[in-house]
Amino acid sequence: MSPASSASSESDSSPVPAPADTQGTLPHGHAEGRAHFQAQLRELEEHALGGLDLIVEQLDRVLEALHHQDVELAQMVIADDDRVDGRYLEVHQGILSLLALQAPVAGDLRLVAALLHTIKHIERMGDQCVNIAKMIPLSGHEPPVHEELLEALAKMGAFARSEVVQCKAAFAGRDVGLAEDLVRQDREINRLNRDIFRLAIEIGDDPDTREWAMHMTLVARALERIGDNAVDIGEQVAFVVTGLFREFSDSSRPYGAIPD
Amino acid sequence: MSAPSGSSDLLGRFAVSPARRRKDSLARGSILAATLIALVPLVLIIYYLLLKGLGSWSSSFFTTDPTGNTFFKSSSIGGIKSAILGTVEIVALASVIAVPIGIGVAVWLVEYGRDSWFAHTVRFFVDVLTGVPSIVFGLFIYIVLIVGTGSTYAGYKGAFALTLLMLPVVIRSAEVVLLLVPGALRESALALGAPRWRVIFSIVLPTALPGMVTGVLLAIARAAGETAPLLFTAGATLKTSFGLGSFMNSLPVQIYSDVTSPTASVEHRAWGAALTLVVMILILNLIARVVARRSRLA
Amino acid sequence: MTSPRPTTNVADADPEARSELESSSESTPRLVPPPAPASVPDSERGALESKRGVSVRLEQLRAFYGAAEQVKGLDLEFRPNEVTAIIGPSGCGKSTMVRCINRMHEEIPGARAEGRVMLDDLDVYDSSVDVVAVRRAIGMVFQKPNPFPTMSVFDNVASGLRLTSQRGGDLRGKVEAALRSAGLWGEVSDRLDEPGAGLSGGQQQRLCIARSLAVDPEVILMDEPCSALDPIATLKIEELIAELKRRVTIVIVTHNMQQAARVADRTAFMLDGKLVEVGPTQEIFTNPNDSRTEEYVTGKFG
Repeated sequence: MSPASSASSESDSSPVPAPADTQGTLPHGHAEGRAHFQAQLRELEEHALGGLDLIVEQLDRVLEALHHQDVELAQMVIADDDRVDGRYLEVHQGILSLLALQAPVAGDLRLVAALLHTIKHIERMGDQCVNIAKMIPLSGHEPPVHEELLEALAKMGAFARSEVVQCKAAFAGRDVGLAEDLVRQDREINRLNRDIFRLAIEIGDDPDTREWAMHMTLVARALERIGDNAVDIGEQVAFVVTGLFREFSDSSRPYGAIPD
Repeated sequence: MSAPSGSSDLLGRFAVSPARRRKDSLARGSILAATLIALVPLVLIIYYLLLKGLGSWSSSFFTTDPTGNTFFKSSSIGGIKSAILGTVEIVALASVIAVPIGIGVAVWLVEYGRDSWFAHTVRFFVDVLTGVPSIVFGLFIYIVLIVGTGSTYAGYKGAFALTLLMLPVVIRSAEVVLLLVPGALRESALALGAPRWRVIFSIVLPTALPGMVTGVLLAIARAAGETAPLLFTAGATLKTSFGLGSFMNSLPVQIYSDVTSPTASVEHRAWGAALTLVVMILILNLIARVVARRSRLA
Repeated sequence: MTSPRPTTNVADADPEARSELESSSESTPRLVPPPAPASVPDSERGALESKRGVSVRLEQLRAFYGAAEQVKGLDLEFRPNEVTAIIGPSGCGKSTMVRCINRMHEEIPGARAEGRVMLDDLDVYDSSVDVVAVRRAIGMVFQKPNPFPTMSVFDNVASGLRLTSQRGGDLRGKVEAALRSAGLWGEVSDRLDEPGAGLSGGQQQRLCIARSLAVDPEVILMDEPCSALDPIATLKIEELIAELKRRVTIVIVTHNMQQAARVADRTAFMLDGKLVEVGPTQEIFTNPNDSRTEEYVTGKFG
């Protein structure tokens, strides 16, 4: 029979996240309504999140290109950004279509809105990979090797990759805890970014080396931006689940400033 | 039906089979035959009425009383004035009593009684009464108002007998029409804040009016043609009497007494009177139709 | 025939006649004393300036058809001058509940209601209250437009006044004001004497709304008012509702969630005779609290 509780709740107080389980589901037991629409929504989400897989690929390749100064690999990364852009357009079109034709509401509406933001962040991530790839030919054929700086970059790359993978897992699993954890990794990336900047300043007088170091700070900046975009996707996860949008950490605050 | 090509297969599915056609013609033919058979007596009656009755019509036919003279050919036999007037008066009195009461009962049945056991009982008895032979009503009044009181025939007693005859018919037809009024109308009127009696008078009855008028007129037409109840209640007389407390002539009774007369002219008068009665009923029917057409239920 | 006096509010159409009405022993007494008429200049639409509305509060309302309980202990408030939509699957009791508010439920043989329905501070089910007065203060518009078929447009609108014995005063003025409020005046002013049933479906429904407005109710209940109408007529009525709420409190039952989303300030979701959730419409449709509400509005449950 119908669920025992006849709880009537007011929506004015602070919201409780809707449980993702089947308790309190409506008792009629026939097949889920709007199966076609639900299938379309799932497909759209998979397509959008698949963009994150593309980003991981791009990131892996561009980091390797960076490590081995592989100009050809860098060119491939630049060319393949078309796939990311294409996916953005497809998802965008899919979202418009769902909004117009299916009039989603409540959780479905929040998901669609979140996907719109998320695919934008994914597209930005792709652009950042391209930015990194563009730095590689400029570094010259025999760039100076500064171990510490390169190590820091490699670490940043690893963190960025880990954030991308984690934000995808958080979205797919609607896991707010996992999403909030992204902030921790992002702080590491920011710290490394500041370190690299410092290292670049102290790198010495050689003009070639200095030029190379400048480019590496730009690479670091691009990796840091990728991390920020991953955190933004995490914020979307929280929005889908709780219905509230809030910033996990405010990137407009200056470096090292103590939050008040 | 077994053609291999696509289009003729389609045609095969949609074509009417010869067996179907035959059945169709047979059915149509039988129904038409039944209709014609039913029409034959109707046409014959009208034909004979006109043939035998029209001849008697004249101005004196309508303006003079029957004289009771049936033997002597030289004297006039008179017309049917008292019969016409008697019918009109008796039927009018009966209607004036039966119609308000009948409509009132129907309103109670539909609006208040509805599904109660009492309403069901009332309906049952009304149905029974519609089937009771008209002579029984006449006998009832005879026993109660004539034998029982030791008095004699009177016009109003005939009217009472007709009232009893008309009541079930009026109730039945009024109930049917009232039930046809959509419940949504009553709901809207109630929702506006009208008391129930107001809803009935201002909304339900006006909406049901055309149908009820038709029903009432038909009941009147039927009552006008009944002979048996009047035989032992209103009695028969020749003179025109306006007072309902005395013997009163009526068309059916006049016809009854004339038709068995050996005198040919008297028999003719019967036909003329019958034609008159039919024409009166026809006029009532026409009025009913006109009223029904004027304000229909939307 | 005198030309209709330009009137603003039904309330101040003719203050003297109005006070005559109040004291006339024939007319059904007003349930809630009318507010002082506001002095507002004439406008195109006439009688649409705001009027302080009344709140309706259901307290432990239960409704029965014989032994079967259709509404099971409902507590719900309808705020003044707001539109509240009631949504829920077929058979959840929303129409029954609404019919208890103006005590139409008890007109069905064997039906009864328990609990309280408060119109501001007055319990509509109190034994001393006249049912007829309740229905004058709480108007109702039904699913299928049903103008009285034997009456003209004018008579239809005036019927509420005539049926409740409020004949005094400027009848023509009140009819015009009601028709203006229903957004119908422009379309029928030249055919007031034609039969009401000759209008199109959307116009008929607005005629029924005008009929309800003519008796100056405090609350209007609407039971799926647009489900028999085409989309354009529906939109016109939705716009009308948005304007009417300035004068009356509106409760609308609808199975069309998009309509509830468009038209209502607050939305209540009912299931199996009980209230599941109520809140601002925007919240119900973007972030409902109860998972059953979520499932219903997203269509996972029919």
